[in-house]
Amino acid sequence: MTALLEPEERTLIDELLAEQQRLTAVERFAQKHERHALPAQARYYQDLIPLSKPQPGEQYAFGVDLDACTGCKACVSACHSLNGLDEDEIWRNVGLIHGGTAAAPYQQTVTTACHHCVEPACLEGCPVRAYEKDAETGIVRHLDDQCIGCQYCVLKCPYDVPKYSPKKGIVRKCDMCYSRLTADEAPACVQACPNGAITIRIVTKAELTARLAPGDQLLPGAFDSNYTKPTTAYATRRPPPANASAGNARTLRLEHAHWPLIWMLVLTQLAVGLFLVAAFASEQLPLAATAFAALNLGLAVSVLHLGRPLGAWRAFLGLRTSWMSREIFAFSAFAGCGGAFTFTTMWPRLAEAIPALHRVEAFVQPAQFTPLLAVLTTLLGLLGVFCSVMIYVDTRRAFWESSFTNTRFFGTTLLLGAAGSAAVLGWWQVITGAPAGAAAGLCAAMATVFGAALGGWEATNLRAALRSSDDPNHRSALTIWKLCRPLLLARFVLLAGAVLCGLAALASTGWPAAAWATGSFALSFPGQIIERFFFFTAVVAPRMPGGVTA
Amino acid sequence: MKHVVEKIGSLVRARDGALTQELVQHPGSFGLGKVPARLAPDDIVTMVCGFCSTGCGLNVHMKDGHAINLSADSSYPVNLGMACPKGWEALTPLSAPDRGTTPLLRNERGEFEPIDWERALILFCERFKEIKAKHGPESCAFLGTGQIVTEEMALLGALWKFGMGFLHCDSNTRQCMATSHVAYKQSFGFDAPPFTYADFEESDVLVFVGSNLCIAHPIMWQRVMRNKHRPEIIVVDPRKTETAMAATQHYAIQPKSDLVLLYGLANMLIASGWIKRDYLKAHTTGFEEFAEFVTRFTPDVVSAATRISVDDLWRFAQTIADGKRVSFWWTMGVNQSHESTRTAQAIINLALMTGNLGRPGTGANSVTGQCNAMGSRLFANITSLLGGHRFDDDAHRAKIAGILKIDEAVIPRQSSDAYDQIVQGIAEGKIKGLWIIATNSSHSWINQNDFNELTKKLDFLVVQDMYHSTETAQRADLVLPAAGWGEKEGTFINSERRYGLVKKVSRAPGQALSDFNILKLIAQYWGCGDMFRAWSSPEAVFQLMKDCSRGQPCDITGITDYRMLDECGGVQWPFAECEADLPSAGAGGNGKSHDPQASALGGQQVHPTSERRLFEDGRFFHADGKAKFFFEAPRPVAEPVDAEFPFVLLTGRGTSSQWHTQTRTGKSDVLRQLYPANIYLEINPVDAERLGIAEQSKVRIASRRAEIVATAFVTHTVQPGQVFLPMHYAIANQLTYPEFDPYSRQPSYKSCAVAVTPLGG
Repeated sequence: MTALLEPEERTLIDELLAEQQRLTAVERFAQKHERHALPAQARYYQDLIPLSKPQPGEQYAFGVDLDACTGCKACVSACHSLNGLDEDEIWRNVGLIHGGTAAAPYQQTVTTACHHCVEPACLEGCPVRAYEKDAETGIVRHLDDQCIGCQYCVLKCPYDVPKYSPKKGIVRKCDMCYSRLTADEAPACVQACPNGAITIRIVTKAELTARLAPGDQLLPGAFDSNYTKPTTAYATRRPPPANASAGNARTLRLEHAHWPLIWMLVLTQLAVGLFLVAAFASEQLPLAATAFAALNLGLAVSVLHLGRPLGAWRAFLGLRTSWMSREIFAFSAFAGCGGAFTFTTMWPRLAEAIPALHRVEAFVQPAQFTPLLAVLTTLLGLLGVFCSVMIYVDTRRAFWESSFTNTRFFGTTLLLGAAGSAAVLGWWQVITGAPAGAAAGLCAAMATVFGAALGGWEATNLRAALRSSDDPNHRSALTIWKLCRPLLLARFVLLAGAVLCGLAALASTGWPAAAWATGSFALSFPGQIIERFFFFTAVVAPRMPGGVTA
Repeated sequence: MKHVVEKIGSLVRARDGALTQELVQHPGSFGLGKVPARLAPDDIVTMVCGFCSTGCGLNVHMKDGHAINLSADSSYPVNLGMACPKGWEALTPLSAPDRGTTPLLRNERGEFEPIDWERALILFCERFKEIKAKHGPESCAFLGTGQIVTEEMALLGALWKFGMGFLHCDSNTRQCMATSHVAYKQSFGFDAPPFTYADFEESDVLVFVGSNLCIAHPIMWQRVMRNKHRPEIIVVDPRKTETAMAATQHYAIQPKSDLVLLYGLANMLIASGWIKRDYLKAHTTGFEEFAEFVTRFTPDVVSAATRISVDDLWRFAQTIADGKRVSFWWTMGVNQSHESTRTAQAIINLALMTGNLGRPGTGANSVTGQCNAMGSRLFANITSLLGGHRFDDDAHRAKIAGILKIDEAVIPRQSSDAYDQIVQGIAEGKIKGLWIIATNSSHSWINQNDFNELTKKLDFLVVQDMYHSTETAQRADLVLPAAGWGEKEGTFINSERRYGLVKKVSRAPGQALSDFNILKLIAQYWGCGDMFRAWSSPEAVFQLMKDCSRGQPCDITGITDYRMLDECGGVQWPFAECEADLPSAGAGGNGKSHDPQASALGGQQVHPTSERRLFEDGRFFHADGKAKFFFEAPRPVAEPVDAEFPFVLLTGRGTSSQWHTQTRTGKSDVLRQLYPANIYLEINPVDAERLGIAEQSKVRIASRRAEIVATAFVTHTVQPGQVFLPMHYAIANQLTYPEFDPYSRQPSYKSCAVAVTPLGG
């Protein structure tokens, strides 16, 4: 009976499982580390950072000795660990350029991070001034709590530096370890390079700018340095051969689609197109109301694009430099004006439904503002589309070049405006029995012409870009052709269908005409969504040379 | 009022807040400099990295007794404050979701089901006992690793052979360092890499044969870059690797023509009188026969085989001759070959004949692969009896039996079958039970499909690993979940013979146990627990290892304990008690004499922290104190290219951020961004154009054994007629041809014949 009194015996398994969970490293071995020791790594990096602070007109800059960069990529990991970045977040990267000949093969790994440009494109593009170029050090710093997560800086930077975190809803980027440098410590990457390949130098901004020649680039495959005037200097005794190219130069990849932006752009352009027709049409109410609905839907969707939409009210801060701010403002004014316009077109019917409203007319005649509001709305809408265009043109990406983007965005405005108006007016006539004017037919005709013209223009461009490897949009065309062929086919089938429906609408009257016109719109709208998908995904985003991809 | 203005100002432009605070840095104390405030440690411990053999010291940042971050240790003598990306990310793979947390048993439906340790251990012992009873002690084998601590290797080898009574076992060091082991043993009389990392800094000529040090051992390359003597850096490699780019001379020889090249260089040096006759006479045997042998390797013959011009060959030879301190370094390009032992020895021969041994900046130096391949070579109890002893030597067996207090009869007299012979044993039905520990044979073994087919013939396959997801674990009958580096204690031995400490800084997930604890349990359940009573903890085993090493060239009796290893930043072997000059540790010599021949240091008093090289007195470990020349006629590879398979397939490391079969490096989001996600084939533009292969297009690569698809990377860095595949992607080893060096039995991963065709798209 004594067994009952004995505590339950612990088996060796229990013992070892418990032992496995006991952490003893600190109590056994932490003694050799002094708590208050000075930075021990300083002995290796003290020669790699400047002794003095930048003077006025000067700034800090990264220097990279390519002859010492041999591809270990420690800088990337050290930056990640010493800055406490998110699991998958990296602020530095290591790419590859290669080329040469069979007799003299060439390859060179390239470490790269933010270039802390003299004229930072990220900073200029930011609608809420979440970037600042530090007056003393020239470091381009990002104010994380100011950021609204619009990611425009990601598009603006030609070196793919700002990194967006969907989890946090903001971008973050390399700050050259600002707080380390101000304490005379070296940035993490400088500390961690086994070969001392990365240094911090002091450069004179004016000199750097003056030295730039047209077409200068940091490395083969890098963007034209005249755009942002990057301060990093790559030095080597082995200049890359003429045919050197990035390890990923031939890699095709789909860039981020930015679905909320796709919908926002297409819907706002539809709205502008509808308002444009409304300004000239005799039946303004249905067009204005539809346009106003499309516009609000578009603007509502655009909020989904922002990582932190609650800060979007700060967008006025960037008006001086940012097309994003300007777009937000233009469309806000457009929405206000468009709302007022829509309201005045509704006024007679509202007053009829609610007789009490007539009392207002003793003071003001809302309907009399309609023509003025129509013109204002249209102008603001067109201004908004122009700002949209400029947002992308300002990134200097070839695929978003001005004439292409203008044609796409204003083309969409006209096409969807005409197709949408034809359908709306057609049904309006059917439902209200209003006298059948020429407007609906004219719109259908215009939609047909615009659809055919846009389709033809796009097909011609695509063909040319596919055929010539010198075409600036060759890679974009290849991306569409190789990675999205079914969608490309769908795009042209939809456009062709829209044109055919438009023709059928022209040949009909009454509700069949309205139905055909609706068909034409229903096909051209998704067609334009696909066009905008290509716009975002097939663009070649400039980057520093990347490594092998597979 | 001011307050209100500020408030409004910060509302409009928020310079601070929760997001900003996330990245704010605080002075890190402990000499770390600034660290992210939310990751500020309250203690620091130093331990060696668990990836490669460089053996870098890492400062593990501890909070509440647990690792939260790490950085490279500025004062560790190996890495001087640097680490490669794998080291920086060493903690990340510990928290991967596919860690084994409980033993898994394959049920009748073929699925894994979790079982408890009790059941797993009973099953493990029953099944192996059954097989042993039915088929004898030679019917089971284990395949171990160079990735676990030495103490675990010793326990594993001792348990398997002395406790469980089995014979056959090998480890994945067969795939990386077996050649160096055999080459040194034959040439020097003991497996003794002679160098210290300071030699990288002291040389005026460095010759790298088959080593892409820049990305395979970046922290050793760091030491080359610290060399102040403007050294000539010579790289022998068929590819224009990162290291070849950084070299001052690159000899892009034809694959597997290295032995001819090395013999040719020897011939040129001898013929020109550029050799040290005095040294040869005093310290070597067999030189005259060697000199006679190499006369047939005339510059013309060598030029034809290597496709290096005669002028360039002379330049190479001249550079060696002109060097005052020439060091020779080799890695897998040499070791993974069909005649690897003789090739390694051809390098050793060059060092011997030019007197480049035992002086700063010299040596015939094998750069090791895995973090503890060196531990495996000394203590795994596989090819050598514990401590570098011989199984077939009665005195050695008696010595070890005495130290371990076991019956001498349980120590087998013969050595074990090698990895390839074990695999062959499965094919022949001789091996029925297999236990795989911390290696991923289904991915890494040469001609992988054959191996994977053979695992089906086994009656019982146990895989003991950190992850239940490895290609090998997925084939197991029983999976035992192991704790990994950082979750246990023990020592690694690095390339320069330095013992370094691994510590327990993180909790193993679930019921995962250290290999040491698993082995202790197996001993208990097998019924031989008493034999291992003294093996109570890793540090207790370390004390046994010390005793085993006494009087051996690898004598470490001067190392007091783990604490001393920690204080000294690791200690290189040999470090015998009588040599110890320990002002601080206070464990001075006890006057006990030992065989002077066993000490490569000539018995002088040394401090444990000094960087030490072997053979400074010119005495080697053969009975006559001399090094031996080994040589043999080169022979062609077993699978040369032909019309049907016209390309030589080279395999090797892809990037510095990938480690072997990626079981760990594949778990880090950071590392994954530093290498291509999928397999790629490097092919020369001339070949690509001829075959119509566009950059980035898909290609089919076929050997006589398998066919795989990869993305083409068209680059001049590989020569026409050759293609290169990184080894880290599971399908690469479907193609490789199973040929082995006859002495080291190391597989020749870097040569087989393949055909390449475009897939279009």
